[in-house]
Amino acid sequence: MPNGPSGMHRLGNSGRVGAAMRWFGMFSRRRRYEELAESMREHIGEKVDELVSEGMPREEAEFAARREFGNVTRIEERSREVWQWPRVESLWADAKYALRQMKRSPGFAATVIGTLAVGIGAAAAMFTVVDHVLLKPVPYYDAARLLSMRESDGSASASFVPWLDVGQWLKESRSFQEIAFSTTLGRQDFLEGATAATHVNGEQVTANLFETLGAQPELGRGFLPETPSFAPGKNTGTIVLSDAVWRSEFGGDRSILGKVVRINETPYTVIGVMPPGFRYPADAFSNRSAQVWVALQLGPSDAQRTDRPPQYQVIGRLRRGATLHSAQAEMATIQKLVAAQYSDPDDRRDHSEVVLERYGNSLVDADVRKALLALLAASGVLWLIAGLNVTNLLLARGTARQREMAMRGALGASRRRVMQQMMVEGLVLSGPAALLGTGLALGSVKLLAHELSQRLPLPVPATPDGRILLALLGMTVISALMSTAWPALLALRAPIEPALRQGGLQAGTGRGQHRMRAMLVAVEVAMSLTLLVACGLLLRTIYTLRHVALGYRTDHIIVADLSIPSFRYAGKNMLQMLYMPMLGRVQQQHGVQAAGLMNEVPLGNTFNILLGLRMDEGSSSSGAKPGASITAMLKPVTPDIQRVFGFRMLAGRYFDAEDTPTSEPVVVVNPAFAREYAPNRSNPASILGMTMWHLQENKPLHIVGILERERQKSVAEESQPEVQVCLCQITPASSFYPIAEGIAMDLAVRTERPTEEMVPELRDILRQASPELAGANITTMDQIVEDSYGSQQLAAHLLEIFGGSALLLCVAGLYGLLAYVVTQRTREMGVRIALGAPRGNLLWLILRQAGAMLLTGVAAGVGLAWASARLVRGFLYGVQAHDGWTLACAAALLFLSGMLAAYLPARRAASVDPMEALRAE
Amino acid sequence: MPKERESRDLFPGALELMILQTLYRKPMHGYALAQYIKAVSDELLQIEEGSLYPALQRMLKAGWLESERGMSARNRPVRVFRVTVAGAKRLEAEMSSFEKMFAGIQRVLGAETA
Repeated sequence: MPNGPSGMHRLGNSGRVGAAMRWFGMFSRRRRYEELAESMREHIGEKVDELVSEGMPREEAEFAARREFGNVTRIEERSREVWQWPRVESLWADAKYALRQMKRSPGFAATVIGTLAVGIGAAAAMFTVVDHVLLKPVPYYDAARLLSMRESDGSASASFVPWLDVGQWLKESRSFQEIAFSTTLGRQDFLEGATAATHVNGEQVTANLFETLGAQPELGRGFLPETPSFAPGKNTGTIVLSDAVWRSEFGGDRSILGKVVRINETPYTVIGVMPPGFRYPADAFSNRSAQVWVALQLGPSDAQRTDRPPQYQVIGRLRRGATLHSAQAEMATIQKLVAAQYSDPDDRRDHSEVVLERYGNSLVDADVRKALLALLAASGVLWLIAGLNVTNLLLARGTARQREMAMRGALGASRRRVMQQMMVEGLVLSGPAALLGTGLALGSVKLLAHELSQRLPLPVPATPDGRILLALLGMTVISALMSTAWPALLALRAPIEPALRQGGLQAGTGRGQHRMRAMLVAVEVAMSLTLLVACGLLLRTIYTLRHVALGYRTDHIIVADLSIPSFRYAGKNMLQMLYMPMLGRVQQQHGVQAAGLMNEVPLGNTFNILLGLRMDEGSSSSGAKPGASITAMLKPVTPDIQRVFGFRMLAGRYFDAEDTPTSEPVVVVNPAFAREYAPNRSNPASILGMTMWHLQENKPLHIVGILERERQKSVAEESQPEVQVCLCQITPASSFYPIAEGIAMDLAVRTERPTEEMVPELRDILRQASPELAGANITTMDQIVEDSYGSQQLAAHLLEIFGGSALLLCVAGLYGLLAYVVTQRTREMGVRIALGAPRGNLLWLILRQAGAMLLTGVAAGVGLAWASARLVRGFLYGVQAHDGWTLACAAALLFLSGMLAAYLPARRAASVDPMEALRAE
Repeated sequence: MPKERESRDLFPGALELMILQTLYRKPMHGYALAQYIKAVSDELLQIEEGSLYPALQRMLKAGWLESERGMSARNRPVRVFRVTVAGAKRLEAEMSSFEKMFAGIQRVLGAETA
């Protein structure tokens, strides 16, 4: 108790306090408090005097008066509260106290804040991506009722649907409110402007598409209701523009309605503009938002099922009350009748089943979905580790502060008050952590955006979703509150007296508590090991991928991906009119060593042509498969492409200047083709000289060369059979011509000059060649290779971050815990040394404790990693999911870093000065 | 930790009312106030210090009381509380409403026994 009886006689010097002083509130508060204290002292003094006058000895009287009065501090505090905004002020005081605490141990605060921030940041970033890609419904009205409808043979792959089948669905199904279908307008669609034409994505759609999607034009109207028909209808020749096209091409001019625009030289009247953000199909990859829609009209080829009828993308809106399940059942029945109408047994099988899938789900392929979920799980684990770590640190500190809690209790602090104070401390710690975490999430989403855009069909938001961030922050704050409040609660429940007793048992040595903290560390270690193993597997995958021999050079190559405005060259030879002059100009450019064209550069995955051909029977030599049908990728190229990529020949020759439209038509094949179709399997070169039907009438193709093994579509996959053919030999007379030359082409340029210098020059040349080409996507071959690592690269990068953070957190957690343990056991250490324990033993004592935690964690972690390896299997290349080496290395890394972290506190324990330790306290 | 007990035996405002009434007659200091109420109520009412001091502070804050220097019964210089004009008005208002309420309660209780 602060004041002895003598203090009671001391008079305040504040004098009379006028009523006016009330108005000063806050300012005169100190004086108020003084007066209050005086009043209470006077009260007790008066009582004492009275008791004394009744004959009680003064000492006894003082004691009795005090006992009767009760807890002075508490009453004083409660009386003072009258003058305060009680909650706010005590909260503010607590916050100030917490800040002082932070200042006193900045290391501790930094660890807690950093740890929480990492956890929040990683999880928020991943949640943002996953939420956006997997969870957010596509931007249509009541999108859960929109189903993509496809046909399949019962295997995993499904295909679009011919008209006759859709027509039957329309007639017979009852589960759908609307069924709409669509197909692309042309191979490449160019909207003609004043000077240049712009590449857009045109889609022919049924009149009810917008209604099916629940969308309405922002401006004008949609298509007039009509059923799909073979004759021109009410909507023929009309077009609806996307907001993006309207704004970029027509400057958002509202008088656009009724005007005529030309797409690939066909005129259309604009009847409407869709609202911003509307897209269909939602997965349109290139020029994502630049879409236009015209009415679909059926053609003669739609009227039959036998000769490859056009196939349509079908989308249906479920009737209210119908479920995916019930629709599936109904469609299965209908499809039996549909399939029965296919006469060819193969066709019948191919159309035997209907695949219904929520439209939103159909946009993301299963691989990406799995990848994202696995990464989400990883980030969740990181968040958990961070949470555990902080809990452990706060618990350790909480027990170290047991005395403080006891003291507060003894001084009259109510349990609620102490809890409040501890929780404010938790808030003060988690607040900055939350801010920092938000920053990290923002940064990482931005960093990931590029890689994600390579893999995901939807644009990735540049900022994390607010709701997710809020939820995570909430969870983090709650967890921080709990981990601060819990030790306080434990401390308050403990009896005050032993904790306060001088030299009594030091706090926090309770067996149960220690065991629990050790367990938390072990759990942390186990989870970190899981992340580290996954990270290790991905790193090995990336390493292996990077060391795969690609079969061509990738350095110093610039690639431009061109969409060819072939409508401008109708009836003309594009090679003569477009490609040759363009190549000529590029080659004359300073610093260009070689330039060539190829419909798609290796790993480009832009535009591939699949070729179905037949081996020429007449040419077959011994052991060949005469008349065998051949499926291969067709790659039209110019001869110089060899110099760009450095293609090497296994046998024979590549194209050269001798190959002309009039010379003998020749092809070059890849080893996969030779292996598949060579007459002598053991000698691929035996395919040289064989011929294939027909590039041009009566001119068989001669195989003149075999390329060395190369990676064609992805670094991880073996190549498919491939046939390269010289562009110059595909003349307009050839049936290949429109596909091989008129859709897309990659221009590849080998140059020593820096890319950023070359790109503007290239764009100039492209613009001169044809204005539409100026906007081509230009990148480097190295970047294409890099991008082709795709999900592995993404997963590896993320797991590097997650694994690294987990390791750090783990080490920090272990260090923090042991450091506390050692501090708490300083006396014990001192006693041991004083009694003659060798210092080595003490070192060993602490290290053993750490080792036990680590080993427990590692053992559990090995099991966990083994079980969870399944999740990453899909990403791996050249390494097994259960790779012993990776597991061993990760475990060793974790164990050694852990022991290193333990060594510092252990050394401190061993170097305790017994005199100091025993004198302490 | 000492167990804390709120004064629950009085209805809200009763303590304030009694303090106002007591101090209106004669300004007193805290101890004398408690003793006075105890004595006048034949020890039926015992004002706990834990309730008294917060109540006094509340009333000071509300401007019903002011404090000034005075002398205790034992001639100690003490801080005495005096009812202000606002306090007197308050007392009047409270008294009349209290009387009404009290009359009402009595009627209800009387009706029950009748």
